[in-house]
Amino acid sequence: MSRYLRLYAYFVRFSFSRAMEFRLDFFFRVVMDCTFYAVQLAFFGVLYRHTTLLGGWNLDQAWVFVAGVFVADALQMTIFANNLWWLPIYVNRGDVDYYLVRPVSSLFVLGTRDFAANSFLNLVIALGLLVWAMLRYPEPFGIGALLLYGILVIIGMLLFFALHLFFLIPVFWIQSSRGFDELFWSLQHLSQRPDRIYRGWARRVLVSILPLCLITSYPTRVLFGEATLITVLHVLGVTAIAWIAMLAFWSRGVRSYSSASS
Amino acid sequence: MSPALFGHVLSIEARKLMSYRAEFWLNSAFGFLAQFAIIYFLWEAMFAESGQSIIAGYSFHDMLLYYILAILLTKLVRGQERQAALATEIYEGSYTRYIVYPIGFFRYKYAQHLGALAPISVQVMLFALVAALFIDRQSLAQISPGSVAATIVVVAIGNLLHFLIKAPIEGVAFWADNVWSLDVMLRFVVGILGGMMLPLDLYPQWAQELLTWLPFQYLTYFPVRVLLGAVSGAELATGIAVALCWAAILAALVRVVWKRGDLHYTGVGI
Repeated sequence: MSRYLRLYAYFVRFSFSRAMEFRLDFFFRVVMDCTFYAVQLAFFGVLYRHTTLLGGWNLDQAWVFVAGVFVADALQMTIFANNLWWLPIYVNRGDVDYYLVRPVSSLFVLGTRDFAANSFLNLVIALGLLVWAMLRYPEPFGIGALLLYGILVIIGMLLFFALHLFFLIPVFWIQSSRGFDELFWSLQHLSQRPDRIYRGWARRVLVSILPLCLITSYPTRVLFGEATLITVLHVLGVTAIAWIAMLAFWSRGVRSYSSASS
Repeated sequence: MSPALFGHVLSIEARKLMSYRAEFWLNSAFGFLAQFAIIYFLWEAMFAESGQSIIAGYSFHDMLLYYILAILLTKLVRGQERQAALATEIYEGSYTRYIVYPIGFFRYKYAQHLGALAPISVQVMLFALVAALFIDRQSLAQISPGSVAATIVVVAIGNLLHFLIKAPIEGVAFWADNVWSLDVMLRFVVGILGGMMLPLDLYPQWAQELLTWLPFQYLTYFPVRVLLGAVSGAELATGIAVALCWAAILAALVRVVWKRGDLHYTGVGI
């Protein structure tokens, strides 16, 4: 475990050095994420001009939810996004060989090697927005609820990583350079809306088979006192199952990997 | 560039896009379904929780029709968006070959862009036929042969406009190492200001008036309104004129950026 932590510390250090070499790109990415935040805030702002409730939440609650979406997005952009962008390209080119022969988990190196230092700054901005949304909320949040929220957001990030990989691992068989990445990015928008807007079969799918609602909506419910122990156990159970299935799928993919570039 | 060569480039690009058929169809079909699901549930909740049957002039069925058309027409306007395709040529140094080609770079690139649009057009028509089965007949009655003809013109202008909005942004690659983030940023801005995320009728009046004079609404909102027969006569002519003015301004900007960029280009690549 300590070996992996030490290795990750090296990844982070290299990433910051690299980010400083491409300063303009660093600046562009910060502006890009700030634009994303502005667009999402405007979107909810316009919606609430025409309603007082959406998914059972008023505007103050919606700001907390949206800021939580930003934090979850910034976390995955910082830790995983760059790596998962390159993964299908490495498989397509036959570059995964270099990672398979190393004396550490190939999934760990391929999934975490590139820490996005520029997105880290966005994580700070996203956390600032979350604090702003929480401060303007009329009622105070308990320490316990805040702690549990933080833990569930991190678990949500791990769930997001596992789900994203489900759409990328097929590249081991289909040999394309992008896999079903585009499809995943279309589907993940489902996680950026309050979970209670979904009804019937869609809701059942989004909390179990494709559990996108567990990433931000469920943690936010904890803050508003709308979650029970069952809700928390549900998030933990589904994330554990998703990881077990993803690791099995990854192993099968690596076994099918033929190395040859296509 | 001769029409035969233009057609040849177009055909190669269309075939290239179809080389991974399963990926192309699955990404598009499920992507369309996911977009539609979000819209359906979001607006079902909006109408139910606000207690209104009409929001900004739209009934629930009108709203669904607006979004279906917005998704499909925006696909035609954007084409197969390969992230920072022009910028990648500069970044990797492969832009050099176009300098020695006996054809204009942008004509070649626009032919490629249109080539990728051919399979997408087939896909859009198929999705439209399937979607029509689920749409309220009364809402569909707003679409007429005349509005369809006007939409073809407006979408063609929108397609060119989108290409021209992207080109100067990608030209920043002459000076910066990586501009994909600018490309993504543009997508966010076009989404919210163009009418893809929300019909512009939901915005405050001042914002609606301002957006009439910006190029973004001509990529989604305006084509949808034209197809629904809500825009005709003088309003249609004014809209087309504003869009064409923006196309001319952007074409001039593209010229300036690429001319200066050419002087800066070293051809080294990564």
